[in-house]
Amino acid sequence: MSRDPIYLDHAATTPVRSEVFEAMAPFFGPRFGNPSSTHRWGREARAALDEARERVAQCLGAAPDEVCFTSGGTEGDNLAVLGGWRILKAQGKKAVVTSPIEHKAVLQAVHQAAKEGAEERLLRVDATGTVALDDARAKLTPGDLALCSVMWINNETGVIQPIAELAELTKAAGAVFHTDAVQAFGKVEVDARKIPFDFVAVSGHKIGAPKGIGAFFIRRGTALEPLFFGGSQDRGRRPGTENVASAVGLARAMELAIAEREAHWRELEALRNELQAAIVAKIPDATIHGRDAKRAPHILNVSVPGTDSESLLMALDLQGIAASSGSACQSGSVTPSHVLSAMGVRAELANAAIRMSLGSLSTPADVARVAEVFPSLVAKARGLASVG
Amino acid sequence: MSGGVDSSVAAALLVRAGHDVVGVTMKLFHDGGETPDRPCCSLDSVNDARRVAESLGIPHYVLNLQDAFGRDVLQEFVAEYAAGRTPIPCVRCNTFTKFRDLLHTADRIEAPFIATGHYARVADGRLLRGVDDQKDQTYFLWGIERAVLDRMLLPVGAMTKAETREMARELGLLTAEKAESQEICFVPDGDYVKVLERELPADAPALVPGPIVTLDGTVVGTHDGFARYTVGQRRGLPGGHNEPLFVVALRPEDRAVVVGPRDALLGRGLVARGVNWLVGEVPGVGTPLRVRIRHRAALVPGTLLRVEGDEVEVALDTPVQAITPGQSVVFYDGDVVLGGGVIERGKRALPVRAA
Repeated sequence: MSRDPIYLDHAATTPVRSEVFEAMAPFFGPRFGNPSSTHRWGREARAALDEARERVAQCLGAAPDEVCFTSGGTEGDNLAVLGGWRILKAQGKKAVVTSPIEHKAVLQAVHQAAKEGAEERLLRVDATGTVALDDARAKLTPGDLALCSVMWINNETGVIQPIAELAELTKAAGAVFHTDAVQAFGKVEVDARKIPFDFVAVSGHKIGAPKGIGAFFIRRGTALEPLFFGGSQDRGRRPGTENVASAVGLARAMELAIAEREAHWRELEALRNELQAAIVAKIPDATIHGRDAKRAPHILNVSVPGTDSESLLMALDLQGIAASSGSACQSGSVTPSHVLSAMGVRAELANAAIRMSLGSLSTPADVARVAEVFPSLVAKARGLASVG
Repeated sequence: MSGGVDSSVAAALLVRAGHDVVGVTMKLFHDGGETPDRPCCSLDSVNDARRVAESLGIPHYVLNLQDAFGRDVLQEFVAEYAAGRTPIPCVRCNTFTKFRDLLHTADRIEAPFIATGHYARVADGRLLRGVDDQKDQTYFLWGIERAVLDRMLLPVGAMTKAETREMARELGLLTAEKAESQEICFVPDGDYVKVLERELPADAPALVPGPIVTLDGTVVGTHDGFARYTVGQRRGLPGGHNEPLFVVALRPEDRAVVVGPRDALLGRGLVARGVNWLVGEVPGVGTPLRVRIRHRAALVPGTLLRVEGDEVEVALDTPVQAITPGQSVVFYDGDVVLGGGVIERGKRALPVRAA
C-alpha cells in the first residue's frame, strides 16, 4: 500500500487516547492493589476506583451509587434486560418490548428473556430508521409491561431514537426503561436528571478508553438481579475484582468526550456531509440509509445498486480504506443487516450496504481520498455486474 | 484457504514467488453447532486460515457463499440422493462455488488469478493430473468452465503430499501437521443420511421402507430407505445367501434396492450426461480414452461410442465394478484431463457403436 491507510470504522472501535493511557498507567505499575484489600495498596486502589466512579457518575448526571463498572456494552445490555426482567417476572410482569434494530446484545438477551417466559414485543421502525412513536404509544401501556429497551443511536445508520419520549411512555406505564447508549455517549447528552431512563449501557472502547470496560447506570430504586455471583464488589451487582486501571481510563475518556462533545459533533458533521455530498454527486442513485432521520454525525451508511458489500469492502481494504458492512458475524463473513431489513430496505440494497464511521482519526484528506476511491471502485464493480 | 495444509502452502508458495496474494476463506454452510476439526467452515478452520495469512503478511477475508452453495451444491446433493443416485458435491462446489462465484469476487478486486490447494496442474491451457498419483484431485475438477483454466494457479499440484507437508514445516506454518480431511465438508461425522433427514420431509420416498429385491425380482427383505444405500454397498443387506449380496441398483420408482452377486456389479460401459470438455477439440466417436469412474479408482481404457450434445456413451475395454449413477466419469489422455460428466447409468454388456 503506497498511501497511509484510512480508518473509517470508529463505530466498531477507537484507539485508546493518550490522555486515557497516561491516566491508566500507574494502575498497571505501582498502584496495582486490589480495591477490596484493607492494606495501603488496597486503600490506594479503592480511592482511585471510588474517584473514577464519582467522575463517571458526574458524566451521566447520576449519583456514584447508581454507577456500576462492566466489561462493556454487551454486559450492560444483558444486565439491564435479563437482570431487570428476572426481578419483574417475579412481580408478575410479562412483556419485554424492544425494537428490531437493536444491537444483538439486546436482541439476544430479549430472546433469552422470552425463553424464561417473557412475551417479546417489537416496536415498528419506519423507513427513516426511527422507532415509530405511534406504535410505541400503543405498545407501552400499563398492565403486563415489564421492560422496554431501545438503543439511543443506531450503530449501523446513526439514526437517533426518540429516547426521551420512549422513556416517558415506559415510565408512565409503570415499567422499566433501558437504553443502549454505546454509540450515543459523546454524541448526545446522556443525563439521568433530564431523561427518566432506569438503565443505561455505555462502552469504553467506542470513546477512546480500552476494550473490556463499560459503565452501567442503575437508577436508585430500580431493582436488578445480578448475572454474576461472587463477592460484594459493586454492591453485589457485579461481583469480581474491579478493573481499576480501565475504570480510571473510562472516567477520563468520558470526561473528555463530554468536554469535546459539541465541537466534535460539528467537526464530524462537516466531514460526513462532505463525504455524503461527494458520493451522492458521483453516484446519483446511491441510497444513504437514515438520510431523512435525525442522525448522529459519525455514521454514513450507503448502498449502491449493482454492488455487494462483501467484495466492495475487500476492494476498499485493498486500497487501504477500512469500512464495515454494519454487522459482522463471528467468523468475519458478511451477513445481511437486520437493521436495514427492519427499515424495509430491499435485500439487494441491504446486501450492498457500506458503513463508514468517522471519528478521532478522520481528516479532511481522508474524506477527499475516499470521495475519489469509493466511486471509482463502485464504477468498476458495476461495470462487471453489467457484463456478467 | 480452507485452513488446511494444502491451501496454506499454496498461498505461501505464491507469496514466495512474489505474487500479490489475497487470502480468502469461503463460508459455505452453517450447521448450527460449530464442530471442531471440520475440514472447512468451522471457526477453527477460518481462524487457522486467518493466522496463516497473517503470518504470510497477506490480507485475509471470509466470504459468505452460503446462499449460492446451498442452491448449487447442497440442494442438488439432496435431490440426487432422493432420486436414487450418489452425488459428489465437491464437483459442483468446484464448478459453481469456487471457480465461478469466487472468480466473480476475484474480478471485483481485480485479481487476475485464483489459486487453490488442489493436487492438479494447469499447463498450456490444459488441466493435468497432479504429480502425486495418490492425491490427484482432477476427478473433482472436470466441471469447470474451460476458459477458467487460464486463470487458475495450482501451486501444490506439482508436489507430492509429503513434499507439501515438508514445505509447510519448513515455512513454519501452523497447519503443517493438520490431519487430512477426506469427508464431505458439510456432512457431520461422515453420515450423509443425517443431512438428508434434515433436508427432506420425514415421509420422503427415499427415506421410508421399501423392498430389497434380487435381479430376478424376488423380494428378499426390506430396507428403511433407499437413500441409505449406494451401488456396490454390502453392509445392511440380508445374509444367508450362497454368495454375498451387493447393491447393484437403486430403483426409486418402486423404492427398491436391487441386490445381486459381486459379478452383477461389473460394467462394460456407461452413459454420462452434463459432459464438459476441457480441451479445445472435442474428442470424436472412436477416440480411445482412459476412464475413471470413481475417486481413486484405477484408470481403465475405453472408447467413445456416442457424443450427442452433452451426453456421451463409452465402452470400457476391461469391466469395472460398481458404475454408480450420480458419480462422475472423467476422461484422460495420459495426464491431460479431456473432460468429464455425470454417470447416468452403467451398462453390463459391452456396448457397441451405433451404425
